[in-house]
Amino acid sequence: MSESVIVMGGGPAGLRAAADLAALGIPVVLVERRGELGGAPIRWKYKTLAPELRPTEEVMDPLIAAVAKHPLVEVHLDAHVERVSGRAGDFRVAVSRSGAGTREFGARAVIAATGFEHFDASRDPRYEYGRAANVIGIHELEGMLNTGRVVCKDGRKPERIAFVFCVGSRDRATNPWCCTVCCGVSIKQGIELKQLLGDVEIYNIYIDVRTFGLWEQLYWESMEKYGINFIRGRVSQIFDTGKQLLVKGEDTLVRGPFEVLLDMVVLAVGITPGEGTAQAAKVLGLTCNTFGFLQPRHPNVHYDSGKDGVFLAGACVAPMSIEEAILAGSAAAMQAAKFVRAAALQAKAG
Amino acid sequence: MADAKPKQERKGRFIVEREYIDDSRIHEPAKLDAGGIDISGRWGLLIEPRTITSFDHSLMRRVQREPGGAYIQRCFQCGNCTAACPTAGEHPEFNPRYFIHVVRMGYLGELERVRQHVYRCASCGRCSEACPRDVDPAGVMTAIGTAIRRKP
Repeated sequence: MSESVIVMGGGPAGLRAAADLAALGIPVVLVERRGELGGAPIRWKYKTLAPELRPTEEVMDPLIAAVAKHPLVEVHLDAHVERVSGRAGDFRVAVSRSGAGTREFGARAVIAATGFEHFDASRDPRYEYGRAANVIGIHELEGMLNTGRVVCKDGRKPERIAFVFCVGSRDRATNPWCCTVCCGVSIKQGIELKQLLGDVEIYNIYIDVRTFGLWEQLYWESMEKYGINFIRGRVSQIFDTGKQLLVKGEDTLVRGPFEVLLDMVVLAVGITPGEGTAQAAKVLGLTCNTFGFLQPRHPNVHYDSGKDGVFLAGACVAPMSIEEAILAGSAAAMQAAKFVRAAALQAKAG
Repeated sequence: MADAKPKQERKGRFIVEREYIDDSRIHEPAKLDAGGIDISGRWGLLIEPRTITSFDHSLMRRVQREPGGAYIQRCFQCGNCTAACPTAGEHPEFNPRYFIHVVRMGYLGELERVRQHVYRCASCGRCSEACPRDVDPAGVMTAIGTAIRRKP
């Protein structure tokens, strides 16, 4: 009987879980849908992380190295879990690898860490995303910041840039939940644009500013040190004039409707359940909540899937920051390790 | 008591849904001349839109350089200053939070409407005691008063 744990997803939560299990001497089969490890921070080339603007590699490189080099971790890229049968402590897991057929693994436990997708803003037509060239998402800006070159599509240096908060969040037309991190990420990017471009005006158009915990310092610094502007309201429409973007909204603090011309609009796209999450729910027989995230047994205990031998970690349960996802990976690994040990003892006792 | 003054005719009386529009946004010159042709009358009527069409931070930068105005950008619009202000309780047009935002974003049309009220500040300093971000709203009110009195 295999002692292994299957980890579904190679992002921050899954990597942390795999690294911790391996360090405890428990073999891990890590299944990643994409062709590389690292999850969203690597896929979208996050330049730095909120709240202290530290390079993403400081967090991701050691995590990836710990997993990629460990003899107890078997990594399968471009792969997904097709079927899970058997019972807790003795699962049979069929892993389908693109171009390499399906292989079956035995496993004592499974950790689902299937992460999230950035909201596809073309679903909300008022923002002209996908049609107006200078309307981009925060994930795309992150990649631009990483190259050190942020320009409009025609090569001009943008002079006025707006961030629109809560795109695909807190909205019955799209997703009603709060993504928890996009305020902080947008403010961080505004600071980085100020650092990179110098004389640029940044307008953060927000409903509330939710820079929770110590991320609040980002918010303060953005105003006090960088002079970033905050407008409370919501954008009702963006028009592409060809050269600039006409952004329509209301400054609710002065009951003032506005229609202003800006060079670039960055949409703070929210966190939505990943494609891999629906697949995980299907093969593991888990319940998704009304939002499409995996439903833990208790809302305040994320790692407990409600099914014996199956544990949850990271943004597949709820939107969260990378620091929370890493903690969640470690917590799920601990629960899985306990389960594996107990199952091994039971097997020995016979 | 009888009204001594004759009733004045209201501006823009031809406008449909007239009650939506402030008097200050209606321009109705009694006499209008277009290149020697008299076009007085309804043709000359102009309604200024309420819409904000630009953000202009030049006044804020001048306020920052005046004594007391240095920390205007710290404000996150909580309204503690206005809540603590004894004058604001009496004069709705004197609202320190509002003044700070209007100046920061450069809503110059709106500022024109309320500018004379900035001098209602009694400098009691209660707002500056109440402010959680050390904006010093009392100092900012003085600085705004100075900056708008001076030519740029």
